[in-house]
Amino acid sequence: MTAYLVTILVIVAIATLVGLALNFQWGCAGLVNFGVAGFVALGAYATALLTPVVGWFAAMLAAAALSALLSVFLALLSIRLADDYLAIVTLGFGEAVRLVLLNEGWLTGGALGIAGIPRPFASLIAPEHADFALLGFAVALVGIVYIILEALVRSPFGRVLRALRDDPVVAASLAKPVLILRIKAFAVGGAVMGLAGAMHAFYMTYIDPSQFTAITTSYAFMAVIAGGRGSNTGLMIGAGTIMLLLEGTRFLKDLIPALDGAQIAALRLGGVGVGIVLLLLLRPQGLLREPQRKAASLLADPERADAADPSLPASHPQEI
Amino acid sequence: MIGQLLLNGTVSGLLLALPALAVSLTFGILKFPNFAVGGSLTLGAYAGWVFNTQLGFQIVGASLLAAATVALVSVLLDVAVFGRLREQGSIALMVASMGVSLILENLCRFVFGNATRSLDVDVARPLRWAGLRISHEQIVTAAAVLGCLVLLHLVLRTTPLGRAMRAVADNPTLAAARGIEREVIVRLTWAIIGLLTGLAGVLAAIDRAVEPLVGWSYQIPVFAAAILGGLGSPLGAVLGALAVGLSEELATLVVPTSYRQAVSFAVILLLLLVRSQGLLGARAVRK
Amino acid sequence: MSGAPAIPALAVRGLRAGYGRGGDIVRGIDLDQLPETILAVIGPNGSGKSTFVKALAGLLRPREGSISITGRDVTGLSAARRVVAGVAYVPQEKNVFATLTVRENMQLATEFLRRRAGTGREQEERVLTLFPELADRGRTLAGNLSGGQRQMVAFACALLANPEVLLLDEPSAGLSPRFVSETMEAIVRVRSAGTTIVLVEQNVQAALCIADAVMVLVAGRKSLEAPAGQIRQADLADLFFARAA
Repeated sequence: MTAYLVTILVIVAIATLVGLALNFQWGCAGLVNFGVAGFVALGAYATALLTPVVGWFAAMLAAAALSALLSVFLALLSIRLADDYLAIVTLGFGEAVRLVLLNEGWLTGGALGIAGIPRPFASLIAPEHADFALLGFAVALVGIVYIILEALVRSPFGRVLRALRDDPVVAASLAKPVLILRIKAFAVGGAVMGLAGAMHAFYMTYIDPSQFTAITTSYAFMAVIAGGRGSNTGLMIGAGTIMLLLEGTRFLKDLIPALDGAQIAALRLGGVGVGIVLLLLLRPQGLLREPQRKAASLLADPERADAADPSLPASHPQEI
Repeated sequence: MIGQLLLNGTVSGLLLALPALAVSLTFGILKFPNFAVGGSLTLGAYAGWVFNTQLGFQIVGASLLAAATVALVSVLLDVAVFGRLREQGSIALMVASMGVSLILENLCRFVFGNATRSLDVDVARPLRWAGLRISHEQIVTAAAVLGCLVLLHLVLRTTPLGRAMRAVADNPTLAAARGIEREVIVRLTWAIIGLLTGLAGVLAAIDRAVEPLVGWSYQIPVFAAAILGGLGSPLGAVLGALAVGLSEELATLVVPTSYRQAVSFAVILLLLLVRSQGLLGARAVRK
Repeated sequence: MSGAPAIPALAVRGLRAGYGRGGDIVRGIDLDQLPETILAVIGPNGSGKSTFVKALAGLLRPREGSISITGRDVTGLSAARRVVAGVAYVPQEKNVFATLTVRENMQLATEFLRRRAGTGREQEERVLTLFPELADRGRTLAGNLSGGQRQMVAFACALLANPEVLLLDEPSAGLSPRFVSETMEAIVRVRSAGTTIVLVEQNVQAALCIADAVMVLVAGRKSLEAPAGQIRQADLADLFFARAA
């Protein structure tokens, strides 16, 4: 029983890391990332491949750095245009990562993945305490990340990000400093996702592409929406609750023998979809009350007055 | 060889054109990128399958019924979800549409399972012409899509509804001041989007198979097509779809087929590097 | 004028309106406007003139108060229904569909007003007599017209709806002086044809030339309402600047 509890807590910790990252990117900076799973996978695989070579610490750093680098690349390409593009690009990125993981077997082991990933401090800990130790490590990591992100959110950096998130007219300036700030924010989130991936690799000690799917991305969104915008504490609660609920549903199979594997999977994934939609409908405060965030981000010059009125989308001739 | 690739690319591009158009319309009139297109395609595929193999309709009838089903579901979704989120902005709508896609896809998975199925279509010998191999499915797809495109074009350009849709895309406030109820146009737009996506779902089922991930596998190419053509431009969406279809086929010359999906992604990246407004779209300006 | 008091073409009681979750911009306005008159609404920047007119047009839901057109309460009607009820609105900017042709703009002006009387062929002819240049430009995209031409199209489209009350939001904005006087003349002709007009204007001089009555808005409230003849420019300066919000 305790073993199972430890398992759940580690999973919650990893999900919390992912949630904190997305909360920074989306909740604080207003950047939608539909490729979360891809960044986490990147971190996991980087860790898996590098730990035997350079040790777990360097591997973790590399995972974070790689994820951050790719975040910068994608953000650079798309944020200067519009946030809608970022959503689409990250979606594509997630798929591209999945394809590479599956097909480049020489590097990633293909569908079979990579096994035998060493854990941090492995040599120092007795095997029966291994999972506990990892839980401790995970919690410590979450704590550190939380403190850093919380500090960032409250700093002038965070304030500017939130102002940009809320005011499309101000953010519409193509000024370099504005872009750079948002790219940095995206990269910070990316780095944390890489760390989450590293944690995942250490915990599972065996990774394969099927562990990083749309579920990861969707859970993260649900956690951020549930927890409330920009609030890291709210997110921790949100992530915790959701993961507990979802882990709980693993028991559905035993409770309702009539449902087969595919149906359980459908319930879980579909349930996340329902969760996202319901949360958006019923909890508009916090994350998604966006009175200024109107219409397509591609539109120039929303009429000032109309921009203030939520029921009137910004007008711009969109030819169809 | 090249000719065959060009042919295949054109037809698969045509198949992409319908959902790309749907995304374009959502963007132009409803003002957000609609990620529910993947789930809707899957729904269309399964609806077609049910009407065709379970209820005995011929493929044409099944397609129309599938299209109608997705149209109905789309309008209901607007009433239940998107309509209520309109005031919250395009980001909320975008994320909600992702949630909706998950719901639709998994509804199908729950009811029908993961097994791959196929439609009950007559298997006919492919035609041979000028050294090319043209399958019946390709002819049907091309004809259906072209028919739809012509019809839609006529509606948009010559009917009051089409004018109203373009007016709402252009300037919703002014449209209201001219007597056009935005809500009504929005619902009708969703119905049209549903018809297009539903039909495309059946065509996709013919092209690939009926399984829960069929819609998802089109998500990226569809968006690549819509962006390529300039989000919000229907003609652009069609041209973009053709371009994506062709590049996916031609890419098989240099890239292993398992990376087919990634081609669209590469197209998107390239476009963003080079030309921000797509082929025919409005100039993209930061928010 | 003898006879029974006429029902005001436009009657407003206690109107309050604002945007989203913000405060009231229009802070309680009462108004009665006689039929077939031009009411000039003037005031300093930010006084809420545009907001007032948008509320009249139905683009902004009033938070309090009522609006009636010739005795019929239209407060609860959406903008689209209000056009059918007889209120037409010409916004200041983006007042044509730029991606549609002039012909299509004009078709749209009446296509969704089936229930409104007087929007047929006759009205179309009357409008074309007022703006003869439009007949030649049918195929041009409205976005490709000059500012003055667009203004014409916008005006024409509002008139095609055969409104009882026509709301004009700064029709002279951005026009050259010659166009301004042409526009003002057109407004007078429209009044003569039987329409009641609410004219929001920054160009006080031009507005005063043709107005029958004037209402001054300062900080969302009516600070003066009087027949045009009784207004002197000097008084206005006092009002505009002394009574700043």
